[in-house]
Amino acid sequence: MRLVDTGNHIAAHAVRLSHVEVVSAYPITPQTQVIEEISRFISEGEMDCEYIPVESEHSAMAAMIGSASMGVRSFSATSSHGLAYMHELLHWAAGIRLPMVMVNVNRAMGPGWNIWCDHQDTLAARDTGWIQLHCASHQEVLDTVIQAFRISEDPLVTLPVMVCYDAIVISHNYMQVEIPEQETVDKFLPPFRSMWKLDFKHPFTHGSVIYPDDYEEVRYSMFEALESARDVIKKAASEYESAVGGYHGGLIETYQMEDADVALVAMGSIASEGRVAVDELRRKGHKCGLVRVRSYRPFPMQELRDVLSDLRAVMIIDRAISFGMEGPLYSEVKAVLYGKSDAEVYNLVTGLGGRDVTFEMIVENTEAALKGKMEQMSTWPTVRMNEHHMVSRRGLEEFWKEGSAQ
Amino acid sequence: MVEIRFHSLGGQGAVTLINMLAQAGDLVGRKVQAFPFFGAERRGAPVMCFLRMDDKEIALRSQIYKPDFLVIMSPSLIDAAIEEGTKEGTTVLINMAEEEARSRTADLPFAVYSVDATPIALDLGMEVEGLPVVNIAFLGAVSYMTELVPLEAVTEVLREKMPPSRVEASMEAARRGFTSVVEIRKSKAASRKERKSAVS
Repeated sequence: MRLVDTGNHIAAHAVRLSHVEVVSAYPITPQTQVIEEISRFISEGEMDCEYIPVESEHSAMAAMIGSASMGVRSFSATSSHGLAYMHELLHWAAGIRLPMVMVNVNRAMGPGWNIWCDHQDTLAARDTGWIQLHCASHQEVLDTVIQAFRISEDPLVTLPVMVCYDAIVISHNYMQVEIPEQETVDKFLPPFRSMWKLDFKHPFTHGSVIYPDDYEEVRYSMFEALESARDVIKKAASEYESAVGGYHGGLIETYQMEDADVALVAMGSIASEGRVAVDELRRKGHKCGLVRVRSYRPFPMQELRDVLSDLRAVMIIDRAISFGMEGPLYSEVKAVLYGKSDAEVYNLVTGLGGRDVTFEMIVENTEAALKGKMEQMSTWPTVRMNEHHMVSRRGLEEFWKEGSAQ
Repeated sequence: MVEIRFHSLGGQGAVTLINMLAQAGDLVGRKVQAFPFFGAERRGAPVMCFLRMDDKEIALRSQIYKPDFLVIMSPSLIDAAIEEGTKEGTTVLINMAEEEARSRTADLPFAVYSVDATPIALDLGMEVEGLPVVNIAFLGAVSYMTELVPLEAVTEVLREKMPPSRVEASMEAARRGFTSVVEIRKSKAASRKERKSAVS
């Protein structure tokens, strides 16, 4: 069945096809359509699922931890401040190794209050132990949510998975998607068999106090599980392709990289717009390709080394900023290439708070970098400080002057 | 690829409009993309919407600054709509009676068409809290203007998506929108009859 629908509604279809039994969520723009659509499926009898309406995202994740601890396939969806509010419990879910899937619609953090896209919310949850997969198209949202349950429930992994896609650009955009048949998905995604579950007849304690004698071992096992997840994610992608159809890369997806000596590196919808930038740069005579980071955790260390090490230049596009440092994706790609590559590495920090990212801007800045007109550091190509922005800056400067005079 | 940008007021139904156009495009085998830019989500606030149709997969995810068609659903938005970006060859469709459109758009360097969508909506009872919901009339008008989707595809979408009690009135609104587009001014580019659709 082919549908034209929003990325959010498509995610809900993936949840329906995955036989999720508990959904626990709190509405937040731009995610709300996901759980609205799931509610509709449940009320119309298309899903046999318990929907737990909670009073906050913190409780949403707490309820998920409860249901997943009972061996029940569980799902939630959130965004931005919702993700931040449940941050403590993200650690809990990963720390007690609970399989579950959550959609995070990438949205900017306030203040200033903003419902549009960037990756600040998601990247702030980087070190919680969750697997993070980033999507660039509607079809990929559908396919990845289904794959995410297989990855999460794999005995080598047993960790929660966050499926991320961009606010508005994907969440509220109507595009075509092929919705597979239920029987086809069932062949790919077997019922959830939990390795452990809470049982009143055989009570035990899970996630309790751990002394220094054992804590590092628990953390090391999580580290190992994320290492194992590399192959599990790749296998899920290729087996999904043969069982259901549709492939969007494993840990990375490449475009026009075969003969490239320059690459763009990006995540999410910018990587789709980036394809048009690659076509344009090639038309202008640059041997450019694109590498999309699909799995942000685990990070595709070897895959990126393989495709980027021998290049002349790499342009990394960040839709987030690590204040006091640089674009986070930039830092990580550089770390991966350290000692392995002589490539020049450039960084655009752009698209924050829904600032539109156009292929023309990417082309212009990539060409500037290739002509030696850009430093190898974070560059903010779309910032335009106008009179209005400068007022507050000048106000601060006045204040500082007065302060130092006293 | 054909790119259309819509300027409307919250409550006029532009998001539903681009959704239905996308559904109709899908019915006739086009690749489609339709998304809004929300300002404040409230009645009366300006809303921008974007629609792309192509014969191959659409990789672009950015907004539309050089539209082939610029659809202005409220006369109050003319200046804002043009300021947002046009190109040589942009064709404008505006919600206005013919005479007013002739005088109000006299200085515009574009091909201009008008459709008087408000009376169509009011006549067919399409009104929410005093604001005429002109989207279905525009569905017909855009179908006529752009030739991307035939009226038959539009009415099929209405039959499928509208509540049963509203199907007849909706189809009538779309038909009236389709037949009441008036050519106000030709640009240097060809008019509808002479132009070949950019998507074959």
